[in-house]
Amino acid sequence: MTPAPGRDERSETEPPDVPGFRTWRGVYLFVFGWFVLVVILLTVFTGIFS
Amino acid sequence: MNVADWVVLLGTIVGIAAYGSWRTRQVRSLNTYLRGNASTGWGTIGLSVMATQASAITFLSIPGQGFESGIGFVQNYFGLPLALIVVCAVFLPMYRRLNVYTAYEFLGRRFDKKTRLLGAGLFLLQRGLAAGVTIYAPAIIISTVLGWPLDLVIVFTGLLVIVYTVTGGSEAVALTHKWQMAVISVGMVTAMVVLLRRLPDGLGFTGAAHVAGALGKLQAVDFSLDPSRRYTVWTGVFGGLFLSLSYFGTDQSQVQRYIGGASLREGRLGLMFNAVLKIPMQFAILLLGALLFVFYQFAPHPVFFNQAEWRRHAQDGRFPALEAQHASAVAQSESAIRAWLQARTSDDAAREASARVAMVAASHRTHEIRAEAKAALVAADPRAKTTDSDYVFITFILTQLPHGAVGLLVAVMFAAALSSKASELAALGTTTTIDFWRHFRPLAADDEARNVRAARRFTALWGVFAVAFALFAGFAENLIEAINILGSIFYGVLLGLFVVAFFFRRVGGSAVFFAAVTAQALVIVMYFSLNIGYLWYNLIGCAACIAFSVALQAVLPPRARADG
Repeated sequence: MTPAPGRDERSETEPPDVPGFRTWRGVYLFVFGWFVLVVILLTVFTGIFS
Repeated sequence: MNVADWVVLLGTIVGIAAYGSWRTRQVRSLNTYLRGNASTGWGTIGLSVMATQASAITFLSIPGQGFESGIGFVQNYFGLPLALIVVCAVFLPMYRRLNVYTAYEFLGRRFDKKTRLLGAGLFLLQRGLAAGVTIYAPAIIISTVLGWPLDLVIVFTGLLVIVYTVTGGSEAVALTHKWQMAVISVGMVTAMVVLLRRLPDGLGFTGAAHVAGALGKLQAVDFSLDPSRRYTVWTGVFGGLFLSLSYFGTDQSQVQRYIGGASLREGRLGLMFNAVLKIPMQFAILLLGALLFVFYQFAPHPVFFNQAEWRRHAQDGRFPALEAQHASAVAQSESAIRAWLQARTSDDAAREASARVAMVAASHRTHEIRAEAKAALVAADPRAKTTDSDYVFITFILTQLPHGAVGLLVAVMFAAALSSKASELAALGTTTTIDFWRHFRPLAADDEARNVRAARRFTALWGVFAVAFALFAGFAENLIEAINILGSIFYGVLLGLFVVAFFFRRVGGSAVFFAAVTAQALVIVMYFSLNIGYLWYNLIGCAACIAFSVALQAVLPPRARADG
């Protein structure tokens, strides 16, 4: 019943097809950068209102 | 609730369930039933992952958390984006490359049958027992506040989710998740807009945020290294990373949401969608709670928000006295806040500072009376429920929102309960079918129709079990915490199995199996002999499983070929 393995092996190396990103590593770096930015913004928020 | 509320509530909740059942009534393929539609895009996957994690308790408890303790709880989610990057880069490609239906099938391919059954068994034990609680926990709050019979709420919620999950499987779950998330989003935005409009004239969002901040509710981040602090950036990043990795990477209720779909790209983008949105979303829900705190500084409110529990013990003469003291303290606190707001606009720093001290003291006095009220409840009945923060948001909904919006917000709670429950049932049914039923009936593996029938039956059985368990749960007061503890006891070892599978290539099936069994025994012994926070057992179980696996592999013969 389980289909044969290997249906996605090629797509692992394919580009993410997201405007501005050529590799998945770039997408992960963007998400990591976004996370850092959110933490910075929350720190600023805490500084302003606490 | 009036007719308009009932129309909105039943129209959305029953309408979405009926739509999901009708659209997926002809699902015959096992692949579609277990993994969803093969053309599913990243948006649907992303919303489905989000809806699975967001239970009704998320929308009842987290605003209460913001009200009671402030927004520092947001740090608990700091490890989530990092964990999702690891899942995208390591877990998801492997699951798709092997084309598995369950995460535990991967353990069979990587190690052997016994390790696969161990992983699937740990999941079924933990999720199966928790299944009743995910129905019971929101039902007890909704039934208490609205005065509906608890059993009726449990049976209604349970039957609704069983019908569409059994009918359309994973495809119905993903389809209904989209609409349930739409109801949740519209409802929560409505609640925030009404809350901001109900704040006193001239206060606005900025003024309310300054009041909340001055009263200690808006400390979002804490870089302290003090281990006694519950929420810090460090516990959030490291503890949150660990918990999120086990939840998103090894829990079939999440894995099933993203292993299907049109391609690896869609699954990855769906997870990245969550990595980007989850912290801002939790921040917004907590902020709603902190603003509710400000709202109730200017509006009369009960000394104890679970009014049903309060009234049950209110014969004692101390209760009316506490209510009167609380009303007086709230009035004084309001005056002190207004005085501070006026002082802020003057250029007199000393006046502002003394007004701030008076405001904090007045707020503290209100808090003390609430603590006295809880102590009075325990004195009246040692088994009384003294946590009322889960009732803060629902009280606001029922007393402050206009008709129609009340129905919408109650629909939010039901939508969240159904969405997390549906993923859970689909995962339990899938794991039972693929990892156990097919294992013991290998000849049935090629009969697709029989496999779909078996998956439907197991999903329905788990649903009935969850409803029965939730009906029974009313007799056991501490059951929810017991289930959380049980989850922590098993989650760590389960993650340990997957970490060894992915990152310790030289470890074989026998080593990891006996290591996991030993680690699980160690965790259970530690639980009964030590007095430490139960969340630590996640870390201990995982670390012990890895360490024992490496050590055992060093003394065992070279690994046998995996036979999953």
